[in-house]
Amino acid sequence: MRFMMAWATLRRHPARTTLAMLGIAVAAALLLDMVMLATGMSESFRSLLLTRGYQLRVSPKGTLPFDSEATIDGASAIVRALRANPDIKAVSPTLGATLTLNGSRIPSAFTMGLEQAVQGDYTLEAGTDITRADSAADTSAVAPLPRIVVSQTFLTRAGHAVGDTLTISSGLDAQLRTAARSSRVVISGMGRFIYVPGETPVMALDLALLRQLLGPGFRDRMSLAMAESRRGDSASVEAVRAWIATTQPRVTAISTETAIRQVEERLSYFRQLAFVLGAISLGIGFLLVATLVTLSVNERRGEIAVLRAIGTQRIGVLQQVFLEGLLLTSAGIIGGLALGLVTAQWLNGILRDFPGLPSAFDFFVWSPDAGWRALVLLLTSGTLAGLLPAWRAASIPIARALREEAIG
Amino acid sequence: MVDVTEHHEESSRGLGPASAPVIACEQVVRSYPMGSAIVQAVRGIDLTIARGEFAAITGPSGCGKSTLLHLLGAVDVPTTGRVLVNGRDTASLSDRDATDFRLRHIGFVFQRFYLMPTLSASENVELPLAEAGMDKRKRKARARELLGYVGLGDRLDHRPTQLSGGEQQRVAIARALSNEPALLLADEPTGELDADTGVRLLELFGRLHRDGRTLVFVTHDAVVAQAAQRVIRLHDGRVASDTRVDARSGA
Amino acid sequence: MRAIRRGVVAIALGLATASPLAAQPPTAPRGIAIDARMAEDLGLAVGARVRISARPGEPGDSATIAAIYERKADPAEVARREYRVRVHLDQLQQLLDLDDRVDRFAVGTREGQSIDSALARINHVAFGFRAHKSRDVAVQSSRTFRVVERFHTAIGIITVVASAVFLLCLLLLSVEERRRDIAALRLMGISRATVVRAIVIEAAIVSLIGSVLGAGIGWIASLLVNAHFQQLYRTPLVFALLTPQIFAFATGLSLVLGIGSGAAAGWRLVKSSPLSLMGR
Repeated sequence: MRFMMAWATLRRHPARTTLAMLGIAVAAALLLDMVMLATGMSESFRSLLLTRGYQLRVSPKGTLPFDSEATIDGASAIVRALRANPDIKAVSPTLGATLTLNGSRIPSAFTMGLEQAVQGDYTLEAGTDITRADSAADTSAVAPLPRIVVSQTFLTRAGHAVGDTLTISSGLDAQLRTAARSSRVVISGMGRFIYVPGETPVMALDLALLRQLLGPGFRDRMSLAMAESRRGDSASVEAVRAWIATTQPRVTAISTETAIRQVEERLSYFRQLAFVLGAISLGIGFLLVATLVTLSVNERRGEIAVLRAIGTQRIGVLQQVFLEGLLLTSAGIIGGLALGLVTAQWLNGILRDFPGLPSAFDFFVWSPDAGWRALVLLLTSGTLAGLLPAWRAASIPIARALREEAIG
Repeated sequence: MVDVTEHHEESSRGLGPASAPVIACEQVVRSYPMGSAIVQAVRGIDLTIARGEFAAITGPSGCGKSTLLHLLGAVDVPTTGRVLVNGRDTASLSDRDATDFRLRHIGFVFQRFYLMPTLSASENVELPLAEAGMDKRKRKARARELLGYVGLGDRLDHRPTQLSGGEQQRVAIARALSNEPALLLADEPTGELDADTGVRLLELFGRLHRDGRTLVFVTHDAVVAQAAQRVIRLHDGRVASDTRVDARSGA
Repeated sequence: MRAIRRGVVAIALGLATASPLAAQPPTAPRGIAIDARMAEDLGLAVGARVRISARPGEPGDSATIAAIYERKADPAEVARREYRVRVHLDQLQQLLDLDDRVDRFAVGTREGQSIDSALARINHVAFGFRAHKSRDVAVQSSRTFRVVERFHTAIGIITVVASAVFLLCLLLLSVEERRRDIAALRLMGISRATVVRAIVIEAAIVSLIGSVLGAGIGWIASLLVNAHFQQLYRTPLVFALLTPQIFAFATGLSLVLGIGSGAAAGWRLVKSSPLSLMGR
């Protein structure tokens, strides 16, 4: 009966109740978004880093992966040493560079040299994968062209399609107007490049071919290597990282957790913003519920006094009023969670336009955990907001209230 | 003027000896602050109401009628003196016990009805029954019975806004009777009603009295007070007169 | 193209103290400039001798700190902790074995000359590079801020909507709480318009006072935000700024919302008859 009465009381003033629910819904939506923002970046980045299972990144000493154009010399020895470690399941070396394009609408493109068998930088979405530079061992008179995989952005901006051939070059001499090294290649496939910003045209080709194109200086270089620990638990990953740090002084090994921490540090502004806005939205929701319930109690002093007079205990009145606040909060939360998901999509779409952000990175990530957190925070806030007016209602002096009602 | 000396018999409801008064006030004083002043609303009243009596408390505005009613109903406690209801000193009751006491032994009717506007007539009557822990099925049956008793058997699902003033007051009376109280207290029950409706309401009170209930109502209208068996007139917080109204003699 | 070769050089500076100077061929140390943060962190001052090289372990060149400069407050780099070093172009080219290579040119046209025609002429003869207007580059590089600006605008919109609902709800409640007072006024003969006007004036005053208080709180908050982030990122950049325009916008919007809410709440009540407002 208490629930029915509480709900009926809220329905007495539909306009005010609707407005209050709307206010709580907006506050709830904002809170949910901020919880998603606070946890989403690290979750998104973690899933990004672990997409292909590699938990460690090995980069030139003192740098973050692809944070500079620095490269690691003696790459093959390092990769051999890593692969020899029984605790390491796989190693994927990568070399990044910018190559010039001939016969394309764009003059150059970021290029990744990879070992196709172990690469973890893209997922093939159409066509066929890259080949090794020397894998064109067939009986035909004309050696097949090396294959490259490109991003959708590359295809769109360069004006190419899967199956097209083009010439890629490096070592341009402006005076002679020639390239030191060139190769004709065929676009064999289109891939989704996990770590490259969506707006960047990118192509992937065999590591040996890229080294060849870049010249003797890059014969044994790599920009980065990804390593996968065999056991996969955080202790094993950390052990491998420590082993790399000890045995390979010219490189820096970063685990997924460290990388996440560093990215979070760079994006700390958003976490702080999430905290501040989340607190504000909780405060708004709290004030709204507390104000509405308080005013509702003030309006119904006589009614509440009568309830007490006919035998309703203090606790009964307290429960009644408290339920009103809780119902209001709950109704607002339901609408707010739905609204929050919509606004999160909107806000995420805005932030994903950040230049240089991997295309698969999200700022607002829904998870049941985020939902539960927002729900608990809101319900707690609504509960506390309704407590004081509920207590005041239960403490109304009956005779005085009846007297004042008679006079009024 | 005839002093009240007789105690009226009523059908026993297991609430104590038939001869014991339902209400006994002993030098009751009630004062409370109003702004910076202290108002003495009740100034030393001695009063007994017997079981089965039908009494009206009347007097001009501000004479302490409603305050006295609140004291009798354990809604308020005297500043000094004692109010015994069914032998229990209301001042000795904790808030919890006083509330429970009101729930089970006292029925209240107010001038402004104070029905819960969001509940139907039946649900309003069920309120005290729910509070007393009665299960839903029994509550509904009891509410139906009571509303039938007050002549509103066909208005069970009507909300207060769909009822006239007289009908709302009848629902309030049914609510007050729900837990079979020893005492029914009414504060200006006809105050919000037109004359004809008021008369019909007083007829209902008369019926309740004939059915053995103890009723005390407060009214400022001396004519309305004549509907009772006994008229206690207050003036300035004291009993000015205590008259038995003989229906046959009209005195 | 990211100009990060300086970073490579900067990293190498860390090894400078370990390099035995006496074993190197004698070269006249040339001057370099380092940023103030680097000078503070590494305890370097003008006149200090360092060694710079392209790769760790290489002998490189001896250099003297000729100047310490304050990096401009570039929001694009506020979160980046790298140090910056300025080296003579030829020295850097020599260190990196780059012969005659550069990352980019900055070109200034003569007074009165058309930028577009200069751009076209350069691109006509360009091989392996392109010329862009500085303005276009600025637009491209300011994408980060446009994104942040859009994000803040979106948050602002949500906050304004929430505040508007809150304000409307509160005003509605506060006006309804005084329904009997309003009924009494109406019964006395005060017109609807007068009653609504009084409510609107009250709402406007509340909104005005509220927005001034809010601006005060916002100003204090901006001081705290700036102090925090300037200390965190070691930058003179201003992160939050309360301008007269922002204050005027916030106050104006608050007034509009308050007056609108007050008018809606007041009109809603005066529409009803005074007796029904009294509860009769």
